[in-house]
Amino acid sequence: MDQKGLGITRAILFCRQLDPNQDANRRAIEREMGARIRFFPLPCSGRVDPLYLMRALESGADKVYLITCPEGACRYREGNLRAKKRIAYAKSLIEEIGLEPERFELILTSAGNHKTIDEITRDILAREES
Amino acid sequence: MITAERKPIKEIKEMLAPYKKILVVGCGSCVAECAAGGEKEVGLLSSALRMDAKASGKEIEIKEMTLDRQCVYEFIDQLTEVIDQYDIVLSLACGAGVQAVAEVFPKVHIVPALNTTFLGETKEAGLWVENCRGCGDCKLGVFAAVCPVTRCAKGLFNGPCGGSKTDRCEVDPDVPCAWQLIVSRLEDIGRLDLLRKVHPPADWSKQQGKGPRKIKREDQRT
Repeated sequence: MDQKGLGITRAILFCRQLDPNQDANRRAIEREMGARIRFFPLPCSGRVDPLYLMRALESGADKVYLITCPEGACRYREGNLRAKKRIAYAKSLIEEIGLEPERFELILTSAGNHKTIDEITRDILAREES
Repeated sequence: MITAERKPIKEIKEMLAPYKKILVVGCGSCVAECAAGGEKEVGLLSSALRMDAKASGKEIEIKEMTLDRQCVYEFIDQLTEVIDQYDIVLSLACGAGVQAVAEVFPKVHIVPALNTTFLGETKEAGLWVENCRGCGDCKLGVFAAVCPVTRCAKGLFNGPCGGSKTDRCEVDPDVPCAWQLIVSRLEDIGRLDLLRKVHPPADWSKQQGKGPRKIKREDQRT
């Protein structure tokens, strides 16, 4: 999959609990895609604030993803539920200025799916292309 | 606490339309607690305004600042060094804060980003409820710390309307009947006798009878 020609910049905020080896795995895809992708590991997706999403968009990302643990599987019980509410708020804010709410997207990983962060990211990119 | 909500961005944009250099000023007190006008909300609104301007090809410059309080001169004074560099100030304070800044800088256009709503309490995370009208003649001591003027949908001062159903208000079933609360709590503390006493009429002039109110304390003045 060649993303280099698309020129799309994505910000990917994700829960660090998803992938114990996230540091090495995300760096691999960052090396491959360069400035077109930036990862922001969070201790829990519940740590996300709408301000992070807005700043990511304002800093040049065309699309901002927030990847969380499956519902009911948050290590901190309801972090991913909070993340869902916060992304909804951020979407409403950008809608007010005429931007597409789809620029913020919540990716809930599915239960039993133990993909690494780079694999999850490649799935997202493949879906974008299709 | 004074509560407020952000105005629609469309309305804010209309106020800012003629200007390029905008100072967005938050307040770190009440409106920060109710997630309307603190540092975070200044950031969110400023980000949105910058992205909106960029999308419409308009050049604007925004500086973000948040004062600990926008209603006290000592804090407002922090704007003195920067305010001249901006065409307009967008204040995320309550109405009192907006007016206080305008009093200090009468030659600068100050506009509100919030609609100030009520005096209230943080009931739970993300929920604020009105419970005080600031009437200036508090009777909470008689009513078991439940204000019937504020919390009764009909503002009844002299007893329940009789329309409540299973202790809920007939106007809004999400809200408990204030008079039910008053009676229950007075029963709990063994002071129902407080309701048997006849009180003189409330002095409403302390709320709205003589124009804007003020409190003057000589011992606090310099």
